[in-house]
Amino acid sequence: MKDTHRRGARLRLAVAGAATVAVLGPLVWLWQDSLMPAAYSVMDMGYADYGGGPSPSPPSHATGPGHGSHLTTAAQGHRGHTDDTGRTTAARSVTSLVADPNRTADVTVTLVARAQRFRLPTGRSVDGYTLNGASPGPAVHATVGQLVQVRLVNESVPGGITLHWHGVDVPNAEDGVAGVTQDAVGTGKSHVYRFVANQAGTFWYHSHQVSHEQVRRGLLGPLVVTPARRPPAGTVDVVALLHLYDGARTVNGREGDVRVAARPGDRVRVRVINTENGETPAWVGGAPFRLVAVDGTDVNEPSPVRDTAVMVTAGGRADIEVTMPEDGSPVRVHIGGPGGVVLGSRSYDAPAAPRPARTLDLLSYGAPEPIGFDPERADRRFTYEIGRRPGFLDGTPGVWWTVNGHLFPDVPMFMVAEHDVVRMRVSNHSGESHPMHLHGHHAVVLSRNGVRATGSPWWTDSLEVGNGESYDIAFVADNPGVWMDHCHNLPHAAEGLVAHLMYEGVGTPFTVGGEAANEPE
Amino acid sequence: MRVVYKVLAYLVAVEVAVQAAVMVFGDAGLGKWVGQGGVLDKSVLESEGSPFPEVIGFMAHGINGMMVIPVIALLLLVSSFFARVPGAVKAAGLVLLLVAVQVTLGLSGHDIPALGALHGLNALLLFSSALYAARRDRGVAVPAQAEPRLGTAG
Repeated sequence: MKDTHRRGARLRLAVAGAATVAVLGPLVWLWQDSLMPAAYSVMDMGYADYGGGPSPSPPSHATGPGHGSHLTTAAQGHRGHTDDTGRTTAARSVTSLVADPNRTADVTVTLVARAQRFRLPTGRSVDGYTLNGASPGPAVHATVGQLVQVRLVNESVPGGITLHWHGVDVPNAEDGVAGVTQDAVGTGKSHVYRFVANQAGTFWYHSHQVSHEQVRRGLLGPLVVTPARRPPAGTVDVVALLHLYDGARTVNGREGDVRVAARPGDRVRVRVINTENGETPAWVGGAPFRLVAVDGTDVNEPSPVRDTAVMVTAGGRADIEVTMPEDGSPVRVHIGGPGGVVLGSRSYDAPAAPRPARTLDLLSYGAPEPIGFDPERADRRFTYEIGRRPGFLDGTPGVWWTVNGHLFPDVPMFMVAEHDVVRMRVSNHSGESHPMHLHGHHAVVLSRNGVRATGSPWWTDSLEVGNGESYDIAFVADNPGVWMDHCHNLPHAAEGLVAHLMYEGVGTPFTVGGEAANEPE
Repeated sequence: MRVVYKVLAYLVAVEVAVQAAVMVFGDAGLGKWVGQGGVLDKSVLESEGSPFPEVIGFMAHGINGMMVIPVIALLLLVSSFFARVPGAVKAAGLVLLLVAVQVTLGLSGHDIPALGALHGLNALLLFSSALYAARRDRGVAVPAQAEPRLGTAG
């Protein structure tokens, strides 16, 4: 009886142990499988997706989902072509993709980054980061075609910094993504960025090292590229950069209104820059307006609208043009709330207008014009499907974003060759909206949820893809490199909503992690 | 192990109560902030800064709900294998199932608010099931103690 009982107890224990292994075993396996190495190249992340285009032969790598490991070894990776002899030929390094090194700079700026406590004009004290002693950092101004040279000095920001030129299609080496196009600039070090400002428009710059933290705390500033021709008399140009410091909404670092003088009849261009992680509406009280540019690209034949709000995507820009009323009454450009920019001639006493119920749909705004390529004859067709599911992200359990059903880092590497016409369907079933940002390129929106774009070509670098929405976009692969294609709700990027676009024959020597402690998200 | 099981089960119940508390804390803070002139839009919602101090309630709710509680529920299930409490495995399994349902409903609520309402109701079910699991050993104390005696008698 005693033996029987002992045997029973042992059996029970064995069953309990087996059940524990059955429950925890797979979880422990998934957990350890999700752990990232101390240093890795983004080129070894996930799987190559050739989008139906040619893959280098012989295929160096599994081309579809469902392969065993999500971090391949360097030899198996996309590091270079393998020629007929099986020898791996050297790839072009991203560090060679620069602006003409022999050309002298037209615009030279030095930006010194510090970790410090600083005061907003309203007196609020912020513990964050500054560029040349202030946040937002100084506006960088250039005329189209000028070569801009920015020396970034990291005086005291721990963990290193970079600068990314958001929306400017710079050469890859100047893209400022830590661990992909450069090493983070440690304290006491500096880095020089050089690029030609080849498109007139509104842009901004921000750190792309631990960006979800460094951008929030102030490492950012506006970048404005103006056309070569001088603006006609009676035009006013104003930047309105939205940023929240410790939850306080500011425009150009000011809480409350920014006041700008404008005479009756003046045409005022308000360059709204959303540096936040969520979209914000902008609208105008007191006058009709035109949306003259989106994401640094002019809208073709924008018609005047009123009682309509414009949604400004996180990371995106919207240039709003207002003609000042002849009667001298002021105009209020609202940015997300009662505050914003007040344009005044005789007074700044512009009453707040409630947010209009109507929202401008860029799919049908403005007039069509040729886009310069035929998206129907695409060389590559990619899918960027955003979802969400439970799992482990570098060992942390949670409910994380997925790309094409896979958790980071098992995400697609979108492979293209130079001059390819690329189509991408970006769809979102994740329960939340995502502002998707492709580095180094502007893409044109072809359709949303199957409805074709009928307005001005909608060129974008920061596209809000709402939950349940699907956008077809297209672009020409004309800027070789390794480019991030990620969610600009920056904490989402840190939660794994990151993929890359990579040109064949291009490789990066930089690694995420490693000695420079690169952490782009 | 029975104590561990019991403590974990009660912990789930306590955590559900914490979840309810921090959510309303955050919501009340939001209401007060808007009342004082604060404006909420997506840019504020997604900002990791704190427009109002009670926003920490929302953050705590998310981390607690998506990471901490699922881990506790999982450990509860494992402890139930060893607890030698009649029905413990079933009760712990029910708790884990309701936790999974709860996380799903919570996230779906972002998209379909009506599912958010079910999230609130399911919280009550989860709370009850956690208490039910914790109190499974009541009334079985005698047979449980009787076991060794049986052994020695045999």
